[in-house]
Amino acid sequence: MLLSLAFRNLWRNRRRTLLTLSAMVVSAALLILALGVFSGMFKDMLASATEQYYGHLVFAQPEYHLRRDLFANLPVDIANHPALMNESEIVSRSPRLRSFGLLSKELSSQPVEILGVIPELEQQVTSLQNKITAGRYPTLDDPNGAMIGRGLANKMKLRPGDELVFVTQAADGSIGNDLLIVRGVFATGDSRNDNNLVLAPLPWLQQVMVLPDRIHEVAMILTNPMLAAEIADRLSPHLPENTEVLDWGDLLPEMREVIAAYGVSRMIIVTILYLATGLGILNTFFMSVMERTREFGILMAQGMRPMAIRGLVLLETLLLGGIALAIGLFCGSLMTLYMHQVGIDLTAYITPITYAGGTILPRLHAVFEADNFLVPAGMLLLISLIAGFLPANRAARLDPVVAVREE
Amino acid sequence: MFIDSTPLSRSLLSLLILLSILPGTALALDIQSVIREVEQQYMGSSSRARTTMQVKTSHWERTLEMEAWSLERDYFLVRILEPAKERGVATLKRNREVWNYLPKVDRIIKVPPSMMGGSWMGSHITNDDLVKANHIDEDFHLRLLEETESNYVIECLPKEDAAVVWGKIIYRVRKTPQVPEQIDYFDEEMVRVREIHFADIQQIGKRIVPLRLTVLPLEKPDEMTVLHYRELVYDLDLDESYFSLRNLESP
Repeated sequence: MLLSLAFRNLWRNRRRTLLTLSAMVVSAALLILALGVFSGMFKDMLASATEQYYGHLVFAQPEYHLRRDLFANLPVDIANHPALMNESEIVSRSPRLRSFGLLSKELSSQPVEILGVIPELEQQVTSLQNKITAGRYPTLDDPNGAMIGRGLANKMKLRPGDELVFVTQAADGSIGNDLLIVRGVFATGDSRNDNNLVLAPLPWLQQVMVLPDRIHEVAMILTNPMLAAEIADRLSPHLPENTEVLDWGDLLPEMREVIAAYGVSRMIIVTILYLATGLGILNTFFMSVMERTREFGILMAQGMRPMAIRGLVLLETLLLGGIALAIGLFCGSLMTLYMHQVGIDLTAYITPITYAGGTILPRLHAVFEADNFLVPAGMLLLISLIAGFLPANRAARLDPVVAVREE
Repeated sequence: MFIDSTPLSRSLLSLLILLSILPGTALALDIQSVIREVEQQYMGSSSRARTTMQVKTSHWERTLEMEAWSLERDYFLVRILEPAKERGVATLKRNREVWNYLPKVDRIIKVPPSMMGGSWMGSHITNDDLVKANHIDEDFHLRLLEETESNYVIECLPKEDAAVVWGKIIYRVRKTPQVPEQIDYFDEEMVRVREIHFADIQQIGKRIVPLRLTVLPLEKPDEMTVLHYRELVYDLDLDESYFSLRNLESP
């Protein structure tokens, strides 16, 4: 009875209700869209750092990621350790050897970081094969064929087919040096990778560094990157002494903080936007209650309890919130879907920005994330209730004798 | 006021000032030549040397046989003879530039500024040492810290505009014969990070030089580089053309 009464009451001033409703729908829908785009940006950032370089988990000697010590190496077959093989969350593993040295061609030389990889495995961990702008990915049957970043290629004026010399400190104290042939050029948008990173076949780098059958790390990709820390903890007890598994959050602490801060900033954005909407709802219901003072007086005179009056008004706001939510969620999902499938390309206006170890791509692209719907939905209902509380209280406290005389 | 009043006391004062400056000037010149002598003891106006370099690190140990030529302070060429794997690897220094020749790839590579602080041939000597050691007397303010009966202790602090890596260098030099005993290197935080000790003092021609020097990187106590001069010949008939990139490649 109360519900149908509340529903009918809502439409007594149709224009006012529709205006308030549309404000609620628009704010909910836009909020869902904006959060989806923000999530998309963070996902791009995380992906740029993990899928272009680190992977989600890295298995190496302790502190290798800090010191990059040439001698902190492991046998190559540790990549097939049973603990790693048996973990179902691990999708792929790539053993890597890393070397810092000088790449030179005639009189120009540049400091670089070379990752010695098994191309087939590395392509399952990082996705540089999707970023190739010229030439091709290295292969094992081309012993000294390498892929370099575009920034490096531009600086040294290199093209596929060019011959380079790589010089580094080898593990036996000698000057490790060998010829390298450019086979491919990649561009990620992350200037550090594009200016510094070189991918070469693992056996070649092992020979140059005089580290036969050794690697520095195993990079891994998981089914869900957000579970990385948990899986790292789970793996640790089963791995050999003097090794450690780090998740991307350990390798990129700023990124972890940025993503943690996103949870907080999402609440702040939602709160600010809904405060405005909440004031609109408050206004609507105050007006509505004031207009109906006489009516409430009559209802109470006929024996309706103040609790029921309060319930009636609250039910009205909640009903409005529910309707707004249903339409808002629908519109928000549609817009998010569009931004997910199509998105907006900003390449013409901005260049990629590197921030907190990741790259923000010049595009607006949304992803679906449950919290981006649940938080705005829950908050909208909560705000409706809070905004309805004051008018409902006022209605409940009316003195029927005074109220019926009101004109 | 008292000084101003009498011309005599004024001249006395200037005499005093003059007297206090004079020995200082003489001494400053003296220190400079001491340092220059130390840094060029193996070079003279020109030289050829055969050296054995033993490098010990916590991960490996190796011994290199090398042959080196030098001309004044500006030209220097060194070539590895042993081990066979590295035979022909050579370094050329021309003024403040360093070049390496790598026979395996048959290429000459100029050491870029960013790598000048890097190890030379895997030792505890850096490329910078090859270039800058000879300019200590120009790049640093020198000061006699202590003089005993047998030794000078000389402190070198970098000049404001000098591009150097050390915060301070201290030379301990024996007076007679005038040979270095020890050099201590301090970083910018004034922490002692490296010592070079000299030993095996021999007369070579008219010169007296220590034929063995030991480089100790103090932050790695179990590591060292020992450079031993087996042959040393001064005043050869060499000119600049000997120190060419072409000669770096082919002996």
